[in-house]
Amino acid sequence: MTMVQLLFYLIGFIALASALFVAATKNVIRSVFMFFVTLMALAGLYVLALADFIAITQIVIYVGGILVLILFAFMLSGRENLAVLEQQSNRFINARKLPALLLAVLFFVVMVNILFKTDINNLTWVKKSIALKNTITPGNVMVNNIGINLMSRYLLPFEAISILLMMALVGAAHLSRKEKKA
Amino acid sequence: MNFYLKYFIVAIGLFAFSGFFALFGVYAERKVSAFIQDRLGPTETGKYGVLQTIADVLKLLIKELIVPAAADKMLFMLAPAIIFIAVYMGFAAIPWAPGIAPSNLNLGLYYIFAILSIETLGILMAGWGSNNKYSILGAMRSAAQIISYEIPAGFAIISVVMIAQTLNLQAISAQQGILSTEKASFLGIWDVSKNGGFINGGIMAWNIFRAPHLIIAFVIYFIASLAESNRAPFDIPEAESELVAGFHTEFTGMRFAFVFLAEYSMMYLVSMVGVILFLGAWNTPLPNIGAVHLADWTTGVGWGIIWTVIKVLILVGIQMWIRWTLPRLRVDQLMNLCWKVLTPLAFLCMLISGVWRLWVM
Repeated sequence: MTMVQLLFYLIGFIALASALFVAATKNVIRSVFMFFVTLMALAGLYVLALADFIAITQIVIYVGGILVLILFAFMLSGRENLAVLEQQSNRFINARKLPALLLAVLFFVVMVNILFKTDINNLTWVKKSIALKNTITPGNVMVNNIGINLMSRYLLPFEAISILLMMALVGAAHLSRKEKKA
Repeated sequence: MNFYLKYFIVAIGLFAFSGFFALFGVYAERKVSAFIQDRLGPTETGKYGVLQTIADVLKLLIKELIVPAAADKMLFMLAPAIIFIAVYMGFAAIPWAPGIAPSNLNLGLYYIFAILSIETLGILMAGWGSNNKYSILGAMRSAAQIISYEIPAGFAIISVVMIAQTLNLQAISAQQGILSTEKASFLGIWDVSKNGGFINGGIMAWNIFRAPHLIIAFVIYFIASLAESNRAPFDIPEAESELVAGFHTEFTGMRFAFVFLAEYSMMYLVSMVGVILFLGAWNTPLPNIGAVHLADWTTGVGWGIIWTVIKVLILVGIQMWIRWTLPRLRVDQLMNLCWKVLTPLAFLCMLISGVWRLWVM
């Protein structure tokens, strides 16, 4: 087993274990902090896939932004509200959870099916890319490539997202505006 | 195995350096504050009190580690480690001299920006884990402040990146001196690149002088970096007159020392990023003038480290000077400054950078 494989399994294990903890624990705040471990492990997996830009973006957006905002929301809601959440009965298999359980099992079956049906080592597009030397190596600088693609091939989705964000910003500004006294 | 050993040694060296810098920084801070407030500062321990901080560390080492009964023990104990590690990991991508960098990442700048945002999480963890009103208020103020000030800082950084066209810190450094292969001009008019004019290299090739709007970007970055390292006048997270000590109220002994270590490492790190982006990194301030090759004589690995350290220490000194001179901002003033002054200015800088790159350079 090479170093990369070893790291892949280690990081994969951390990601799965921490994600399980996030889903299973009753302590909401701890589960948010455990989510941080999951996100870091995912960033590690991205790095192993040579997607270093995505890995760092993941940390900036999810850890630096979204996770902190989630924590903010929890902290503003206070300890009493969180205590209510902790008192819920949390049996793993439960009649009310039947739809979710069914969905999860079916999805798992689909995934396993796909895993067995595809012959991962003999995919044609992978072989073609290797033959054409259309692959990236750890030393490649991919930022310029991402920038050019965002501004040419993916310009429309990029602009659509920026309009969406603009709408969200205007909406937030409107909601937080001081009410004028009549 | 030797391959990995080298990285271990570098990592331990950086840790030792941040510890040493915190010792020196605390002593300097106390002496500077004493000078500004017309006091003497530490005088008893050692000549001029130079051993004071070492004595403090020894005291912290043997102090009892108290965990409050109502605290979330796990979060409380992990928080100082996360706060420090976030800052410490930032050091991994920082270049010190030509060819000398712990890791020459091609996304170095972006990496540092990302890794520093983890510190917020550590602070929130400390605040929540302590189960203390002062701590949680401090942590929330700190998070709000850091998230807000990341925006002007980010745009100031982007305006440099647009001029430099790379995220590799070593490449950004190399562009600002005589080792650069591309054209550099003082304020966009006077060619000071190697083999350019009569005077080349030196202070005129630094990023802040390559384009005039980068001076504004530097000031924005510097103000935002003060806020990101929770230094006065932006120290409302630990405003001692209202919050005791903010998010680290409950910490004792080594845990408290780690929070302090993180604060001083953060000061050094943000100053170092500022130096690399705006103040010529490891490049000498002395230019080549005609036949007097001052820049050639003062460029190299040893000189590079010396210049970096001198520039960073000057910036850290200014941070201390500001801390002991300006009063603390109120929360609303802090947010107004960030969103209504710095952010639009930073946007403007970014816009000018684009125009500058297209038509002037």
